[in-house]
Amino acid sequence: MVHTAATDSHLLKKDHLKGFLRKLAKEYRLVAPVRNRHGDVLFTVIDDLDAAEIELSEPPQNSLKQFFLPQQEQLSTYTVTPEGYDFHPVQATIPPTIYFGVHPCDLSAVLYMDVVFSRRQRDPFYLRRRHGSVLIGVNCNSPSPNCFCNATGSGPFLEMGSDLQLTDLGDRFLVETGRAPGQALIERWQGFFSPSADKDRAAHYQAFLEARGRFSRQVHVEQAIRQLEADTVEEKIWQELSLRCQDCGGCAYLCPTCTCFTISDQRLDAASGRRLRSWDACTFAGFTAMAGDHNPVQAKTAAIRQRFTHKLRDDVRLNGRPSCVGCGRCVSICFGGTDIVRFVERVCQGSL
Amino acid sequence: MPQPITDIYLPRQARVEQIEIENSQIATFVLAFSDRRYNDAFRYQPGQFMLVSMPHCGEAPISISSTPTRPGNIHLSVRKAGKLTTAMHGLRVGDTIGLRGPYGRPFPMEQLAGRDLLFVAGGIGLAPLRAVVSSCLDQPDRFGALTVLYGSRTPSDIAFQSDLELWHNQGVDCRLTVDAAEPGWDGSVGLVTALLDDLALKLDKSTALICGPPLMFRAVLRRLADMGFSDHQVLTTMERHMKCGVGICRHCHMDGKLACVDGPVFSLAELRKLKIMELDG
Amino acid sequence: MTNSINEIENAEVILVSGSNTTEAHPQVARRMLAAVDRGARLIVIDPRRTRLAECAHLHLALRPGTDIPLLNAMMRVLLDEGLADDLFIEMRTENFLALRDMLNRLDLEATAALTGVELSLIRQAAQLYGRARKAVICYCLGVTQHVCGTENVQTIANLAMLAGHIEKEDTGVDPLRGQNNVQGACDMGALPNMLPSYQGVANEDFREKFERAWGASLPEAPGLTLVEMTHGGAQGPIRGMFIMGENPMLSDPTLGKVEETLRGLDFLAVSDIFLTETAQLAQVVFPAACFAEKSGSFTNSERRVQMVRQAVPPPGECRADSEIIMALSGRLGYPMEYETSAEVMEEIALLSPIYGGMYHDRLERGWGLQWPCWDRDHPGTPFLHKYYFTRGRGHFMPASHTPPGELPDPEYPLLLMTGRMYHQYHTGTMTRKSERLSRECDHAVLQINPEDAKTLGLRQGETVRLLSRRGEITLAASITGQVACGMVYTTFHFHEAPINQLTNDAFDTGSRCPEYKVCAVRVEKIVDS
Repeated sequence: MVHTAATDSHLLKKDHLKGFLRKLAKEYRLVAPVRNRHGDVLFTVIDDLDAAEIELSEPPQNSLKQFFLPQQEQLSTYTVTPEGYDFHPVQATIPPTIYFGVHPCDLSAVLYMDVVFSRRQRDPFYLRRRHGSVLIGVNCNSPSPNCFCNATGSGPFLEMGSDLQLTDLGDRFLVETGRAPGQALIERWQGFFSPSADKDRAAHYQAFLEARGRFSRQVHVEQAIRQLEADTVEEKIWQELSLRCQDCGGCAYLCPTCTCFTISDQRLDAASGRRLRSWDACTFAGFTAMAGDHNPVQAKTAAIRQRFTHKLRDDVRLNGRPSCVGCGRCVSICFGGTDIVRFVERVCQGSL
Repeated sequence: MPQPITDIYLPRQARVEQIEIENSQIATFVLAFSDRRYNDAFRYQPGQFMLVSMPHCGEAPISISSTPTRPGNIHLSVRKAGKLTTAMHGLRVGDTIGLRGPYGRPFPMEQLAGRDLLFVAGGIGLAPLRAVVSSCLDQPDRFGALTVLYGSRTPSDIAFQSDLELWHNQGVDCRLTVDAAEPGWDGSVGLVTALLDDLALKLDKSTALICGPPLMFRAVLRRLADMGFSDHQVLTTMERHMKCGVGICRHCHMDGKLACVDGPVFSLAELRKLKIMELDG
Repeated sequence: MTNSINEIENAEVILVSGSNTTEAHPQVARRMLAAVDRGARLIVIDPRRTRLAECAHLHLALRPGTDIPLLNAMMRVLLDEGLADDLFIEMRTENFLALRDMLNRLDLEATAALTGVELSLIRQAAQLYGRARKAVICYCLGVTQHVCGTENVQTIANLAMLAGHIEKEDTGVDPLRGQNNVQGACDMGALPNMLPSYQGVANEDFREKFERAWGASLPEAPGLTLVEMTHGGAQGPIRGMFIMGENPMLSDPTLGKVEETLRGLDFLAVSDIFLTETAQLAQVVFPAACFAEKSGSFTNSERRVQMVRQAVPPPGECRADSEIIMALSGRLGYPMEYETSAEVMEEIALLSPIYGGMYHDRLERGWGLQWPCWDRDHPGTPFLHKYYFTRGRGHFMPASHTPPGELPDPEYPLLLMTGRMYHQYHTGTMTRKSERLSRECDHAVLQINPEDAKTLGLRQGETVRLLSRRGEITLAASITGQVACGMVYTTFHFHEAPINQLTNDAFDTGSRCPEYKVCAVRVEKIVDS
């Protein structure tokens, strides 16, 4: 990967960031990582730009998943009348939204979700939210202790995929234009931007090199991918991990690329109800259970095998790259120490 | 503005036109979409499935058991197993349900043309194969000899009796067996694999289509392998829990494949590449 | 807990007794497993081969109800091998000689035989525990829900004191509490003999202090314990009851008696967030707000008082428990007019010395405070008994084996243990409303050993009848090596299979805790009619 900024990149002084965002907020709903009063950084819809403490240096605890695939959403309503059993589509208007300050891991995750929700069938609910969304990324200068996006090819700097891509150069951002909507924003609000000089691009490259050196973990994702493809992961590793998995589903819920969902009916009264889609996790036994208590995924190890095999083998086969983006969220949430880093480390140890 | 995208999750209303009670646990529902134009244009292929909605019960995948050669309605043969299927057994003619589909990769009818077809089924497993048998019978010169081996728990559990009789009359070699006999039963008793012993097959031009519970499935596979069937000559259709039906939700995962879009029909050669309970157990 | 939960992670040896920690206290189990990853040794004492037992270096699968002989045998090994902490015993304890004499009289072989655990395993466990520099004992209801529950706990304390494994960081005795605020409830005097902060009602000075603050006179006699109240019978002495957030119609032993008692009351009021089995018997039901619908504090297992903040308003007519109590009290002629939970906390700080320095403004910051916290400047106490025990010296209480109230016999040949499962919580009042949790498991299963299942001719998942002298239920058999031959295990979450119709109401005379862990049952195959 080449991480030299293009010569047509721009500069945005940090002092002008709020002013730029204020302009954007007039036409778009604005979502950005905000530090709340308990100290947590979360992607949040910003209503009051002046009250919001936007935090770009610390990865948010949530990803953008909830904005495109809400934890629960209504797919339809239904009624049961003497005329019959009918389904009614939901009419929802999703405001055009700018997602600002998206780290490369989370940006990569959105690009992966784009594939999931349009490869075989175009998912109307996902695409409705995704259309009209603008992604403004920020390259990651300070990976957290659990981060390993360098090992999954999804960071710390990203070259494409976003509409605008920012790099923190101290008192200013270097701004690279990606997709057309980003270019349009720059043109529309030219006053905020100035052309970048060679020294800015050199600083950008320097920042990239420094960021790359700041990872505290060396996670050999490639090796795990190879072993899964060659089917040489020892059975005892699966056994160890499944014994330790506490079956909480936290990894899947926090994961920016875990998009498995379930669909269920919520009865409102005898004659009506709502059909809901909600997040699910392949590690739950109930995920594959069929009517009459039969479950084709019976072995204790099968569920956890599915989780890692999907991310590191099946998606590599399908998309040429793993669907783990190295954000490290599962590492911080996992109860039992059966997160993906633990898996990769165990596989690497096993092959020593 | 982008074009509106079809709501792939929205079921359409279908009306129960007829109900055939197959046994105490299985019934076949003859259905037509309430929207006549949609119903007339509706097409599917043998081996595909529908997602059925029942009020407050969500959705469940059910194989289509009728043949596309007779458009106008679809048959769903349903065994009482969970909440939704139990609710279906309470349906009466004129009631409505929700349907979306058809989904899934069908049986490769083109490739089966000209071949002798050996159907081996247990219990509700005959439902998806029924679509193929009926379809073959409606295209008399297209396929070779048809043989149906069907296992049931007891003689009173034998489902699809009228179909079996009809097929028999149309020249299909239909053979039945039960796990446990009842008074008056003078047919075969034992595993469906035993029925394979007496068959005179032209191995090189035969293809086997199997559907049934995992234990039966594995026993039949072993027996067919002994008889000389290659893995490419064996087709089956897999049963999995499903939600979306279109390859997104991943409930039906099978070691990298998804039953809803990569299947439900698979050749044994394809399945052998996967770690799945049906073959490992 | 004498320790903080996080300290478990730093222990060198963790002895877990009667706790299915991965399922019942996953956040604690997380620390145990993290400790194991750092090289700690894990010893699990449990009749069942639980998931934690599978992760353990030593699993002592004792016969249910033989905790005392097992621990006594461990202590005898400590004595024999010179692993007792003589200095600690000398400086910090009393009555050691009584313990030593009792232990020296033990026939080790016979004691081990009684427990069903090989002596060599007991010896290894004792050596591991005795030699560790930092060792914690975590125990739970598998220890307390026996007729000898109090002695079981005292014997655990004996073991910890004998080895000197108390008074230090990362070292101690940690009972795991089952609910988010059961510690807080006890701290606030939801005990029959205690005013808040463990100030006994029998003590005149304590009573007087509260009488002055509350402007009311207080009874000097202790109240009744739970089972005494719920098993009084139709003509029992209690004529009216107000039950808050408790579902004895599913959780108490010998449910028949509970129902008879509650139906026999002149008046029953229940406050709960859902219409429980108990609430259905009430004349008046107060809809209560749930944790996310109110503000205040909870006190957890590690004595940590933490703020809980209202996230959403209560639905409909629901009100916070405190509002219900205040409204009721006002109607009864004793106005309580606390405007905020912070005001209540100020009274707690005033009257409860261990909460003396806890105010909402302090609790708001960081992760709360652990008691004892004597005044505004006190930082709280991560681990207890640093220089002295609450009573001064630690008193050894030698105990010997007390058999369970009921053991298997030819008529009821199996021993039934009851407990909990991961995906359900208590009587399912809340968890069974979650479709996702119900999808994982929404029916009772009876764990039974493959050999017993074979004898009975059972198939996996088959519905069986389970009978004791007190009742019978039907549930699905789960054939598993997790339980030993001769034992069966199930949970009490499901009203369709109310296991407490079968459990024994024998109870510990000290704590009045019923013996949920042992009773004699028979399993019958259901024959098709």
